[in-house]
Amino acid sequence: MIEVDHLTKRYGKTIAVNDLSFKVTPSRITGFLGPNGAGKTTTLKAILGLVHPTSGTTRLLGKAYRDLDDPLHRVGAVLETSRYHPGRSGRNHLRVVAAQAGIPRSRVQEVLELVAMKEPAKRRVGGYSMGMRQRLGLAAALLGDPELLVLDEPANGLDPAGIRWLRDLLRSLASQGRTILISSHVLAEIEQIADEVVIIHRGRFVAQSTTHDLAERAAGAVRVRSPEAARLRELLAGTGMRVAETDEGALTVSDGTAERVGELAAANGIVLHELATERATLEEAFLELTAGETTE
Amino acid sequence: MRLVYGELLKIRTAPRTSLGLVLGLLLLIGVGSASTAHDADSSLPFGNEVGLFDVIRILAIVPVFTLILGILVVTWEYRHGTITQTFLTTPRRERVVAAKDVVSLLAGAALALVALVLALIVASFWIPLDFERAHWELIGRIVFAAAVWGVLGAGLGALMQSQVGAIVTAFVWFLVAEPLLGHTIDALTDVRVGDYFPGNVVDRLVNTDASVEIGSEGIVAGPDYAFGLWAAGFLAVGYAALFAALGLVSALKRDVP
Repeated sequence: MIEVDHLTKRYGKTIAVNDLSFKVTPSRITGFLGPNGAGKTTTLKAILGLVHPTSGTTRLLGKAYRDLDDPLHRVGAVLETSRYHPGRSGRNHLRVVAAQAGIPRSRVQEVLELVAMKEPAKRRVGGYSMGMRQRLGLAAALLGDPELLVLDEPANGLDPAGIRWLRDLLRSLASQGRTILISSHVLAEIEQIADEVVIIHRGRFVAQSTTHDLAERAAGAVRVRSPEAARLRELLAGTGMRVAETDEGALTVSDGTAERVGELAAANGIVLHELATERATLEEAFLELTAGETTE
Repeated sequence: MRLVYGELLKIRTAPRTSLGLVLGLLLLIGVGSASTAHDADSSLPFGNEVGLFDVIRILAIVPVFTLILGILVVTWEYRHGTITQTFLTTPRRERVVAAKDVVSLLAGAALALVALVLALIVASFWIPLDFERAHWELIGRIVFAAAVWGVLGAGLGALMQSQVGAIVTAFVWFLVAEPLLGHTIDALTDVRVGDYFPGNVVDRLVNTDASVEIGSEGIVAGPDYAFGLWAAGFLAVGYAALFAALGLVSALKRDVP
């Protein structure tokens, strides 16, 4: 669906993307993650033919973007840098795009309804909020009813209601069998929506897996509460586990499992009030993965 | 074809700058035409003929405006970031550039014709519009120059991408660099290199010259040019083609910011 093959992009001495390779699976939502400046936007721009790679190739639907016939009918894109002429109304912006892509004008009204922008679209873009601009960008991406969507930070500038709206919209688009690649540096957002994630850091590939597996991979901590916390803590530390005390008086044990903590407590006759494995979040997994890269 | 239509739609739907430019030009032409026609009628012995010629000659400023219009047609997109969407819609950038060249050509010719009609309507209040062949020839040359200079502007815009940069470059070249360079080279050598610079070429096209026989003492003999009208026409097209080519290469090679 999307193939990035040994992509490298240099700007002078800076390497924005460094020998990056990954593939995006069809009919799924793939999150494209990385801290700010990781090279996400540059990668997406290379995929969309806006940036010439220094080396390596990118393909969508088996072709370079430039070689797609009627690309707006195949691929819809929202980029952070997509901006609008401030003097043009949202509707006229879409009419221009539709005219150049050979899309009937009636479709403009349809996508405006889809992104709930029917009324604001009559006004000049210059007065739009960030959220309205994002919606207009999505409307432009959806004009050609494409099978593939490439979205760069589409939730930027949306309020909580807007983010929820976006999530529902993307889920419904994905349920129609569309492939969506969505970049973000906000992990909670991706965790709720993506089936799979690709993580990059400093222009390099870090990991690709399903969202679920990635969270599982991160070491989960064990939370334990006991009236004899101090004694338990000593015992746990004695076996080499790392123990920290939380504000509420509970202990957080890393490098250990709930089974081992429970067995140790039972063997020493310590009463436990709570024993639970805390599920790691994508954020923890992400920080763990990118931290390793940073120290290299 | 749909790209050309889209480009025209862009001009139509973003009215502020383009409308300001066009209205400014038309106001200038209208006032110029009125004052010229009024003077011609009252003072000169062969007032009518000279008057009409002088009214048409006002249009010699139109190519300056079409040059800026051509620059705007391209650099707007970079300035406002709409170039991203344009290249997403049409990733074959050569088609986008070609559409913009065509639109600049058409808009340039159209602007010259609208200005002409306005100038004639205003002038008709004072002088009769008796056209002779020489009038039509001058009109043809001005419309031609306006159209070609539109393409030159689009090429310069695509080459530089910065709106302010392109407009400033054009003005500095035509108002300062070209006359200075031309005079210096002319003074130092026997070859009149300066005459072949774009500003002089378009000047050759849009101004009346000695070959125009009006039969009036009122007409000033045109400057002594180094080449004929046809050569000027070809040179103008050559300059426009050169910049269109440079603009195309720039649009193809450079990354979208």
